[in-house]
Amino acid sequence: MRHRARWIALAAGAVVTVLAVVLATQVGTDPRADANKSHLLGQNAPAVDLPTLDGGRVRSSDLAGKVVVVNFWNSWCIPCQEEHPALVEFFRRHAADPGFAMVGIVRDDTDGAIRRYVNDEGVPYTVALDPGAQASLEFGTRGQPETYAISPDGVIAGSQFGPSSVTNLENLYAAARGQQ
Amino acid sequence: MSRRNVAWLALAAVVVITLAIVAWPSGGTRSDAERVRSVGSELRCPDCESQSIAQSSTETARAARADIRQRVAAGQSDAEIRQAYIDKFGPSILLNPESGGLGILVWGLPAAALVLGAGGLVLALRRWRREPHLHPTDADRELVHRARP
Repeated sequence: MRHRARWIALAAGAVVTVLAVVLATQVGTDPRADANKSHLLGQNAPAVDLPTLDGGRVRSSDLAGKVVVVNFWNSWCIPCQEEHPALVEFFRRHAADPGFAMVGIVRDDTDGAIRRYVNDEGVPYTVALDPGAQASLEFGTRGQPETYAISPDGVIAGSQFGPSSVTNLENLYAAARGQQ
Repeated sequence: MSRRNVAWLALAAVVVITLAIVAWPSGGTRSDAERVRSVGSELRCPDCESQSIAQSSTETARAARADIRQRVAAGQSDAEIRQAYIDKFGPSILLNPESGGLGILVWGLPAAALVLGAGGLVLALRRWRREPHLHPTDADRELVHRARP
């Protein structure tokens, strides 16, 4: 009887110890930490066929074979406004490269507000609209700004959630070129 | 069967019936709209903090509802739709964590500790009942002897 009680006490102690270890190592972990990175890295980028602000269309099939940087943004998002100069600088560095394309996909905004922003601030790369938010959903976006780099063979090679710096963008570009 | 065993049997029956009612899937075939609502209510709206896709009115949530509707119409099961969203957004897209892996440990260990503790208590009580710590003294025996008619 005394042995049985000892075993039970031992088992209870083991359970409490394991519980303590699990709680100590996991409770401090942010359960939504996975929301800060793309789960599509290494996968084929979603196919898009979107209207552009200038009345044209942008299709992923037309961009095949190029490094494509896709930036989800809108006019009212302050971090998007903050990263705008970096996006413009990065685009100017690579604009002459025929193997490079950059698309800003508008998330959750009105055409009028976007046109005003583009006129006022100047957006030198293609601005695409996302009516119905299908592209935003397909890319698994959580908000804006979010930036994705797609390799010439159509695979998502890098992502940046939150505002990008020129350095971030260059790193994404290098990843998409297969240089990282 | 003793009265005590009958009581235990009745208690076990109540527990089993309660668990069966709770765990049994709600009967009847659900309509497509009900399935869209049900799956949407389990998934976190991607661009809100704590609303479900079924509740939120953001553009992405509306797109997700349309997407789930299409998936249901295409014959995907609820589990397949959930998995598609986990693949795209990660496990945090689920409003309630999955009942597996670490979740089992976190929920199961306290329950196991409770069962072990209760078991230990029962054993200890039985032991104490079999081995009384108080023994009658000569004075007690004398008192009982005098009290007897």
